Amino acid sequence: MSEARVEQQRPASGAALLVLVGLGIAFALLVALLALAKTHSGPIYGEANMLYTALVLYAGAATLYMGYGVTGIERYVSAASLLTAIGFAANTAAVAHRWSVAGRPPFSNMYEMLLSFVWTLALLTLIAERAYKVKIIGSITMPITVVSVILMQLLPSDVRPLVPALQSTWLQVHVTLAMLSYAACAVSFALAMMFLIQDGMKTESFQALTSAGMVAIYASMLITRFRSGTLAVTAYDLESKSEVMVSRGHPLFIQIPDLGWLYLLVLLSALVPLLLYIAGKVKKDPSLFDSASKGMFVSLMLQAAGLAIFIARVKGGQYSAPGVDGVYATALPANPFLLSGIVGGIVAGLLYLLLLWRREGLQRMMPAADDLDRVTYKIICIAFPLLTLMIAAGAYWANQAWGSYWSWDPKETWAAITWLVYAGYLHMRITRGWRGRRAAWFAILGFAVVIFTFFGVTYLLPGLHAYAAG
Amino acid sequence: MGLKSIWTKVYQTLASVRTGIFLIIVVGIFSAVGTVILQRPTSEPEDMQRAYSPQTLALLDRVGLTDIFHAWWFLLLLTLVCICLIVVSVDRWPNAWKVYSKPIRFAQPGFRASLPQTAKFTVANEAAALSVAERVLGRFGFKPEAVTENGASGLYAEKQRYSVFALYLVHMSLICIFAGYIVDGIVGYRGNIQVPEGQALGQISLRDDRGGESKKTLPFLIRCDGAGEETYADGSPKKWWSKLALIEDGKQVAAKTIVVNDPFVYKGIRIYQSSMGQSSTPRTLTFTATPTKGGEAAAVEVPLNGKAMLADGESLSILRWVPDYYVQDNEVYKKSDDADNPAVQLGLTNAQGETKKLWILYSEMNSTKGQDAPYEFAIKSATWEKFTGLEVSHQPGQFGVWIGVVLMAFGLLIAFYTQHVRIWAAIADDGKGGKLLWVGGTTNKNRDRFQAKFEQFKTALQEELGGQAATKIDPKTINPKNEEKTLTKA
Repeated sequence: MSEARVEQQRPASGAALLVLVGLGIAFALLVALLALAKTHSGPIYGEANMLYTALVLYAGAATLYMGYGVTGIERYVSAASLLTAIGFAANTAAVAHRWSVAGRPPFSNMYEMLLSFVWTLALLTLIAERAYKVKIIGSITMPITVVSVILMQLLPSDVRPLVPALQSTWLQVHVTLAMLSYAACAVSFALAMMFLIQDGMKTESFQALTSAGMVAIYASMLITRFRSGTLAVTAYDLESKSEVMVSRGHPLFIQIPDLGWLYLLVLLSALVPLLLYIAGKVKKDPSLFDSASKGMFVSLMLQAAGLAIFIARVKGGQYSAPGVDGVYATALPANPFLLSGIVGGIVAGLLYLLLLWRREGLQRMMPAADDLDRVTYKIICIAFPLLTLMIAAGAYWANQAWGSYWSWDPKETWAAITWLVYAGYLHMRITRGWRGRRAAWFAILGFAVVIFTFFGVTYLLPGLHAYAAG
Repeated sequence: MGLKSIWTKVYQTLASVRTGIFLIIVVGIFSAVGTVILQRPTSEPEDMQRAYSPQTLALLDRVGLTDIFHAWWFLLLLTLVCICLIVVSVDRWPNAWKVYSKPIRFAQPGFRASLPQTAKFTVANEAAALSVAERVLGRFGFKPEAVTENGASGLYAEKQRYSVFALYLVHMSLICIFAGYIVDGIVGYRGNIQVPEGQALGQISLRDDRGGESKKTLPFLIRCDGAGEETYADGSPKKWWSKLALIEDGKQVAAKTIVVNDPFVYKGIRIYQSSMGQSSTPRTLTFTATPTKGGEAAAVEVPLNGKAMLADGESLSILRWVPDYYVQDNEVYKKSDDADNPAVQLGLTNAQGETKKLWILYSEMNSTKGQDAPYEFAIKSATWEKFTGLEVSHQPGQFGVWIGVVLMAFGLLIAFYTQHVRIWAAIADDGKGGKLLWVGGTTNKNRDRFQAKFEQFKTALQEELGGQAATKIDPKTINPKNEEKTLTKA
């Protein structure tokens, strides 16, 4: 049924493409203005200028990759690839400059981690494209790099001194390996999703998956941050560019009025398509799937509005907290969990819409299902040893800094759970011959656990690793 | 059911992959639960009381969910994983050892049929054909050996035979890690101690009090010969250091200046820098002494355990120091260790040796005014005793853990990036009186890449054999379900 509907869609016309490219250029210009507004002093080869160069190039590449995703014109890829490569060189210069100024590898705070993450992601994109011929990957990874670099503009970028516990080579080894292994897990996730597309999983099943993801995002946001109609955000001191702390490890939460209700509404809007899908499955009524797709569109609009209102309220006001005198400001970088959740939901929704409208074109551009299945496995064969060494380096550092190699703190425990999930995947694949759909679902589960380890543990569970949030 | 069959059943259950996966899932679920429910060793008691109602907390405590990772049943679970790993290794070992120690060198006709990659070429001269095959194999990086069986001759070549042991290496490394962890759980300990500058102490407060004991006496004393903090320009800490000496039987046996991330190791006991602070006991107190009869006020500094002379031949000493006091029934008591509301009892001894006792109760009045004495004293300032906060741990099992980690690194490297490739060649009859050169090969993983390599090998062989090739049989289409099927069922 869904196949029939897909076929009815007209291929993207030249006008649509023009609009898309136009939007991309406008986007790049906006970003340029954003970056220019910040006064950049220092040498031309300095970090800020290099990062700005990388941002503009990455934005161009992302637009071209997405253009390729929509139209399937191969020419776009070679241009996008070139832009990515030059952007990557600028990015490398930014990393090198910061390294030399700080006298240590750039992994110590959120800004530096994003800097390294973007670098790794661009590198992996180039490798996946050149070595494995997965050209479409850039239309997923490059927008992520652009969003990350824009986020970085909001974060304090001064070279901060390291507290004693973080002055360790092993910590840097640990973080580098974490970055590499998580990036590999992300790539395996993207490949597994592509496999499911190529393997003919129904479009409405992707809709259900996307809705479920959105529901999970907003539910976890509301469970932790909903306070009688308001939304709790972390207070942020704009002068010192740091979070306001109640005591060590406990940031101050201030409440933005009414935003909680808005997000409850968004949660319901994400829940409706999921329920429609379930109803369609139970009643065997495919017309409900069409309604679900429309519901997705509405939910996505609401989510975009939610993001705009969130940014406006965060930037333009001071809020109070119950039991605390005075009002406090907040900022986007103080709330990476909320921000990445909202943005992540929107990106997932847009990718679903792309699939809904352009499935055939997408399938033509992707490698065959068998190849995707095999490459997913090979990427996990890279991710798993990296994951193992990452945990080992972390344990060695903990043994040097805290007196024990394993203390079951939540971050450690979840890293071990991630390891167990991928160990399970490898066992099922190697000894039981699991491949195809079951293996793809396993790889998706693995990445979901990685996401939870990265964000969930820091923002949903308390832990020793509060350093990373600074 | 006899004892033997029960034993067989248990053995088979433990040796199955299904059991392994089941245990992985169970360990994963309980670990996840342990991060969602607050755990006693890592949470403050007040936080636990705030998070759960008294009934819930009592229930969680009773079920053992507030300290999962030290619960006996969790350690038992890990032990079961260990046993499972050992049984699996024992079960699969004979097969792997056979492949390793007694490789099939000559491909019998029956064996030939089981290989995924094969090819046949019609040849005229047997010996020449084999030497061509030997040369081509050499070009592909193999070192073939000539084999004969029942008068038939052939070649055997292989690469990376050790790859069959990867599974054992990885499983053994896990056993090492678990064993190390379990040893530490039984004999290891971890605690902290605060050593004031100039003092030597040897008793630590244990972090998790196993068996009800909360203190442990070390086999030596730790003396702090100095401690300090360096800060960055913005005031955040840059470096904490402590100069430590260890004293055993009254003699100094070792000394080191430690910093964060660089612990002191002595006889398996590791001492870490964890914090830096001021004790609530001053080293010296400085008072202003104002003569009651009138005159210039003077400052006088008194060490806590000493005395200071005043102008008229009197001496001043500190009889009692209470950092934070309260008064009840006309007696002074200590309320806390925070030195923000002190009470000091002074002893003023005159030239005749008579001592007068005077009190300063800081929050009432910072003065001895109204107490019959030739001076009025008031607290002016204090220098504080500094102490270094040390973390002490004894975890002898960690060597097992590190050996395990290294073994695992090698094991995974071999498991994922090496493969046991085997190629056979043999002379066979073509059934019509002529001779055939038969070649076949297999690998234990990465079959797709091997298939491509084997195709190249075939092409090269055909070229070398020249026009001799008449029949060429396509390789069987590989059953994708068998691909990457490795050591276990090899």
